[in-house]
Amino acid sequence: MKKSLALLLALVMTLALVACGGGNNKAPANNAPANNAPADNAPADPAPAEPSGDKIDISVIAAQYGQNTAKWWADFQDEFNKTYENINLNVEVVSWNDIYTVVNTRISGDAAPDILNIDVFADYQADDLLLPAKDYVSEETYAKFYDAFLEQSNIDGTIWAVPDLASARALYYNADILEAAGVEVPTTWDELTAACEKLKAYDSNIYPWGIDMTTDEGQAAFAYYIWNNGGDFTDADGNWTLNSPENVEAVEYAVGLVNAGLTNSDPANETRYTLQDLFGAGQLAMMIGPNSIPTYIAVDKEPDEVINYGTAPIPTNEGKPSVSAGVMDRFMCFDNGHSDEKLEAIKTFFDFFYEDERYSDWVLMEDFLPATKTGGEIAAAADERMASWVEIVGSCKFYPTAQAKWADVKQGVIDVQQQALLGGNVQELLDNLQADIVAG
Amino acid sequence: MSKKAPAAGLSPRGRALRKIEPYIWIAPSVILMAVFILVPIISVFQMSMSDVSKAGKIKGFNGIANFTKVINGSAFGLVLKNTIVWTVAVVVLSTILGFVLALILNNQFRGRKAARAIVVFPWATTLVVQASAWNFIINKDYGTLNTLLLKLGIIKEAVNWTPTPEAYFAWEIACGIFVTIPFVCFCVLSGLQSIDTTYYEAATVDGANYWQKLFKITLPLVKSSLTVSTVLNIIYVFNSFPIIWTMTKGDPANHTDTLVTYLYKLAFYNGRQGEAAAVSVIGFIILLVCASVYMVYTLRKGDDE
Repeated sequence: MKKSLALLLALVMTLALVACGGGNNKAPANNAPANNAPADNAPADPAPAEPSGDKIDISVIAAQYGQNTAKWWADFQDEFNKTYENINLNVEVVSWNDIYTVVNTRISGDAAPDILNIDVFADYQADDLLLPAKDYVSEETYAKFYDAFLEQSNIDGTIWAVPDLASARALYYNADILEAAGVEVPTTWDELTAACEKLKAYDSNIYPWGIDMTTDEGQAAFAYYIWNNGGDFTDADGNWTLNSPENVEAVEYAVGLVNAGLTNSDPANETRYTLQDLFGAGQLAMMIGPNSIPTYIAVDKEPDEVINYGTAPIPTNEGKPSVSAGVMDRFMCFDNGHSDEKLEAIKTFFDFFYEDERYSDWVLMEDFLPATKTGGEIAAAADERMASWVEIVGSCKFYPTAQAKWADVKQGVIDVQQQALLGGNVQELLDNLQADIVAG
Repeated sequence: MSKKAPAAGLSPRGRALRKIEPYIWIAPSVILMAVFILVPIISVFQMSMSDVSKAGKIKGFNGIANFTKVINGSAFGLVLKNTIVWTVAVVVLSTILGFVLALILNNQFRGRKAARAIVVFPWATTLVVQASAWNFIINKDYGTLNTLLLKLGIIKEAVNWTPTPEAYFAWEIACGIFVTIPFVCFCVLSGLQSIDTTYYEAATVDGANYWQKLFKITLPLVKSSLTVSTVLNIIYVFNSFPIIWTMTKGDPANHTDTLVTYLYKLAFYNGRQGEAAAVSVIGFIILLVCASVYMVYTLRKGDDE
């Protein structure tokens, strides 16, 4: 009797606790909408919360890019609702940590937002949840986007999302350290290796080169090296080419730099932000990073405390063209059975958002690069530094995010690099990954 | 209504009310538990046997496909091994250390109250904060451990405290132990305080030494406290997410992943929620078996004596 009682007790206890444990882990996920909504809407709702009545409701979930995002959207919502009295816009700003789970929870609860601002779109498209971009963006606004950007959201000949902003990557170097060590800015891999060795000999306390192969953004490192070795994730027809000879050579080169002791000590755990901190503190001589680094390293510093840095194209394997890596986020519209009236209202939203001045204000505020030609012109005119970036972003390569298997490829190449750091054979690892991905 | 109201004197209606009254009182907690514990568990089981799209839509039943896929995955063996090492190491070591600490804190000494308060600190701090602090201590480039040792002249140049994944995992275990000790310590302390001192006096009169008293009196009498703390710890530690996530995210290449961080990555980085649910169910079953075996074993032994 007692034995069975004990067993029952054990069962109940474990059940309860496991549920608690599981609940805790998932809490940020499931509670996110509930938690975030009031917090983010609090400043977003200074306007009287009158019942919407006959108004058309538009719900937006937007990614939180930085400190000012929520405030910007709150003001935007206010202004929009005042301008268009028949529309009731509600923007919910969600942090990047939660946004995927928030959106997935909403979708599985049949409460998808009307408009979503996020990086990926292929998974939603695969479930037939999205509308084609031309259905919800006016022709006038549609014509503003860089064609290369729109192409990133092309699946089977249809554009499903529109770009909201972009960032591009380049080589950053600490000019003072390079000069003191007598090192020229490297343009090829051979020059890069030689430069790193020289820098190491000059001062062993400074890391010559920064590499981030972490779960955070390891796919970026993979892209920097394969693209600048003439390799790619896919061929022109969209077939995966993960284990191409160029890719193998590229990963071997990057891992070789780590093994030769020319980089930060723990590329599998040191994120780009760690590298940016080291770079900003003058402990790292060179790294590849986004256009936002100047702002990042200048935070909390007097102008004369900021290191003397320069930017240059990413070094390539001898003779290959230098390719910058672009990252682009998107707006997409969920197919919630909208009436024609509502689609018009959504078009109005996008016209309002991409209105040149408002749009360039948003992009500059977020420290990103514009995705529209007109926005690019304004941004370039406003800031000299921006001009060169606008030029770079027009020609850079993007991750194949339109591919349904991108999430697996992304995690896969990160895993390959980390295995290679632990001594794995790059060719074998990439062969296995290619086989896994192709097999599904 | 009758003022005396002995149960027998109640009207049939009153008696019926008496019968259902307890159920009314416990109904709120039963409903709460059903909604917040049972429903999520059922939905995880359902998800683990479903084909779930990356956007989170359930596409239909697919039997044990998720389980076979997860178990045949290249990383699963490693992750399972890590989970066992992590749970056993943290639970065993923190139980031993917590027990010793409780014995010390049970002595009379000046500042005992302050010492007990200090012991709570690691427990009262959020795990994410704890893990970040440990990361900050052991970091090679700006870590306080290196700075301290350099200042004291013990080392000549910065030491990389985490040269291998195993080393990183060991630090995570150390952090896990550090935050678990207070819980064990307080469980044991409460047991110790309930022991009648006359036992020890009698033992002293009979000539028992310190170790005999420890093993023959103290241990048997705090065993129920230890059992509770151990079972709870097995479950907490097994399911612990923040320490590993904050320190390494399971990197490099799953070498520091446990089941919980692994399933998180599966669900939210790879978008494979069905497989993630399967991992969750596997963890649930492992825990259920471990905790049941342990509790049945210790409680039965208690009954025999």
